[in-house]
Amino acid sequence: MFLGIDIGSSSSKAVILDENLSILGKAVINTGTGTLGPEKAIEIALTKAGLDREAIKYSIVTGYGRITYAKADKQITEISCHAKGVAHMVPGARTVIDIGGQDVKVIRLDDSGRVENFVMNDKCAAGTGRFLEVMARILDCDIEMLASLDTLSTKEIIISNTCTVFAESEVISQLSTGAKRENVAKGAHHAVAKRVAGLAHRIGIRPEVVMTGGVALNKGVVTALETELGVHIEIVKNPQIVGALGAALFAAELYK
Amino acid sequence: MNSIAQIIAGFEEQAKYPAKAVTAAIKKTGKKAVGCFPYYTPEEIIYAAGMLPVGLWGGQTEIKAADKYLQSFCCSIMRANVEFGMKGTYDMLSAVIIPTYCDTLKCICENWKSAVPNIYLIPMVYPQNIKIEAGVTYMMAEFKRVQDELTKVSGKTITEQDLLDSIAVYEKYRSTMQEFVKIVNLYPNTLNARVRHFIIKAAYFSDKKIYTEKLAELIAELKKSPAEEFDGLKVVITGILAEPDALLDSFVENNIIFAADDLAQESRQFRTNIGEGSTAIEKLARRVANQSCSLLYDEKKTRGQLLIDLVKETKADGVVISMMKFCDPEEFDYPIFKKELEAAKIPMLYLEIEQQMDAAEQIRTRIQSFSEMMVKH
Repeated sequence: MFLGIDIGSSSSKAVILDENLSILGKAVINTGTGTLGPEKAIEIALTKAGLDREAIKYSIVTGYGRITYAKADKQITEISCHAKGVAHMVPGARTVIDIGGQDVKVIRLDDSGRVENFVMNDKCAAGTGRFLEVMARILDCDIEMLASLDTLSTKEIIISNTCTVFAESEVISQLSTGAKRENVAKGAHHAVAKRVAGLAHRIGIRPEVVMTGGVALNKGVVTALETELGVHIEIVKNPQIVGALGAALFAAELYK
Repeated sequence: MNSIAQIIAGFEEQAKYPAKAVTAAIKKTGKKAVGCFPYYTPEEIIYAAGMLPVGLWGGQTEIKAADKYLQSFCCSIMRANVEFGMKGTYDMLSAVIIPTYCDTLKCICENWKSAVPNIYLIPMVYPQNIKIEAGVTYMMAEFKRVQDELTKVSGKTITEQDLLDSIAVYEKYRSTMQEFVKIVNLYPNTLNARVRHFIIKAAYFSDKKIYTEKLAELIAELKKSPAEEFDGLKVVITGILAEPDALLDSFVENNIIFAADDLAQESRQFRTNIGEGSTAIEKLARRVANQSCSLLYDEKKTRGQLLIDLVKETKADGVVISMMKFCDPEEFDYPIFKKELEAAKIPMLYLEIEQQMDAAEQIRTRIQSFSEMMVKH
């Protein structure tokens, strides 16, 4: 059995594969690096698989917390792991957009599904899950509610500041002058999409485009991104675990 | 410790603790020291005046005092230099030369007078068009003015022979450096990215003649051993500089060496030999006219081809762009050479750096991903 662990900035994910590369267990815990999240995710995935730790033959850790996590056999970056996971799930994928808690990555794959080029955002929360968390707080709703709020919108309130801190002030100012919450939610999704599209254009978009990471669960962002890029975006099942799946696939490959 | 490790440790000590190294060099040689702001100053004239040229290339420090003069969106090297000046780190210097290659440097020239009044300022203006005759003539006049200023600081009259002798020391330094950066490819494990950087940087904080002799000794020692086996990646790195240490450590961790560089702090300093001319000053001016750098206007935009040639020459796997944040001249060059490298199908890794980067995690992920991408899992 092979274990993949993806320790992000705001969540921890684990995937266990059998010899045939079928998923036996998976888990997502909403606490990331520096917490007990990774251990909890592994325990849950093991329980679901009906296995104990000794059954794991090889493990790979990925994500922001990969360097400090000492219990895996090897660490590989989330860029390589997301690419690996996507290529396994969607063989025709040529572009991967991963929006995580505090970074954004756009990865271009070659015809054999390997990483050909990639770009990452700078150390800035603009265009990431953190930006949406801040927006949800100002709009007084759970982050999961942002997408349904967006569906009620009648127009997009433009958020011109890319900086999360400035955007927060801008949105407060919009709300104080009577802007509707749902229109602001739409604006927040488009703000993320514009930022990500800018990044994606640096390396070029080749269909098929697949989105991974927790933000892929937000339909508002996906729709906004499709509009900004002018392409259909495929969302895989369980987009949060793609990095951990890629890590587990590497574990199986390297064990051989 | 064998002699190779000993020489390297000496260079590393100098590069990591510049203030200590410069103070020691002043004591050892009995010479005064003159600070040289990036990127290019006529060090040969300082040396001819019997003084030590010292490279001022910023460093790791918390920026507090310099905020009064330079905003957070200014180049991190210049912010650090002003901070060090205001904190007294440069008090062992008898003067500084500040050239005006970019907008930030132009401001510092004026700021220095009130920010660090105790260190004598010699400003220097380079011509915009360095390659035309009028540019060379102007540069010669400017070098002569700097020569007069340095005479005042040193109290020594600088003769033509002094200048020619100094040029000879620098030519020896340049040819030794040119040999050194090539030899890295034969001893990539010993001269990894970190060690290579420290060895090159140490030259800024010691007497050039003494440094060159030590480096020549290192090269001779290295040559006694057979070339080393290497299974990592070779890259050509381009930009202003490759710092801080965390950046270099990431290259070492991922077994990536610098097969060649196009860095302002490294090869751009010594890859161009002295120019032709009937006087020492003319030779110095024509050398600058022959130099290539984003800070020196290049009408023909030759950087892309230069990088392609370096990749071919060293059989490198790709090019790393070490982009100094907020450096306009470097950013203007980037789209032009990026297109050329893409057309030549040379893989690239773009890194945006600052000298005072407190969190290097993203840089580390980028470098490791590039390494994983190149070895093709």
